[in-house]
Amino acid sequence: MPVEKFRSIEEMNAAPIRSGRDGGFDRFIRHCARFWKLAPRRYPRGVVRFRSYEDAQATPANSRED
Amino acid sequence: MESRRCYPWRMDRDEVVHVLRAFEEVGLEYVLIGAAAMGIHGVVRATEDLDLFIRATADNVERLKSAFRLVYDNDPNIDEISADDLLGDYPAVRYYPPSGDLYFDVVTRLGETASYESVDSMVKEVDGIEVCLATPQALYELKRGTVRPLDHRDAEALRQEFGLEDD
Repeated sequence: MPVEKFRSIEEMNAAPIRSGRDGGFDRFIRHCARFWKLAPRRYPRGVVRFRSYEDAQATPANSRED
Repeated sequence: MESRRCYPWRMDRDEVVHVLRAFEEVGLEYVLIGAAAMGIHGVVRATEDLDLFIRATADNVERLKSAFRLVYDNDPNIDEISADDLLGDYPAVRYYPPSGDLYFDVVTRLGETASYESVDSMVKEVDGIEVCLATPQALYELKRGTVRPLDHRDAEALRQEFGLEDD
């Protein structure tokens, strides 16, 4: 079903996304690839320690754009 | 496949697969959490990192380092990952590998309660690799209790996809 029609954006947002036969992993990787294409960045090398996972999540990755 | 021609595979598929395979080869005791685990469950959003709980033992930290060394050609920075830290005052370590395309948040405990042992997990096969990942319910529980709006959106997506309820 290449085209789906909806009567409202709410209906569209609630509709399940139809994916191909490949599993979630490949869709996940392709989605990340699109993200990277739109917002390219490179990370430095190394290891950083945090006193909690919350601290790690609150610390932006030290990235720079390509 | 069209998308594979259009996009460079960052986050590189092969790199992720190599890491997961290395985890399996060295016998790392881990549970994948975060967006990568959600993705394998079919709830897809982009992410910059792979998040994982590992069992908090010195041997297991060495397995983690061995796996990273296999994939990242003995990157000397891996020596900075320390069991003393992960089992002590620094239960979260971020590793930026030389590829520069992604990074890893490695966690031994989350708050007072969540750890490798406490998170419900399951095994799914990815490219012939047995990947250990948090169950949808466990991901939902991890994400709904945080302060990050992103986590709340993830929790809601998981709840809708799997019909989850609060425990």
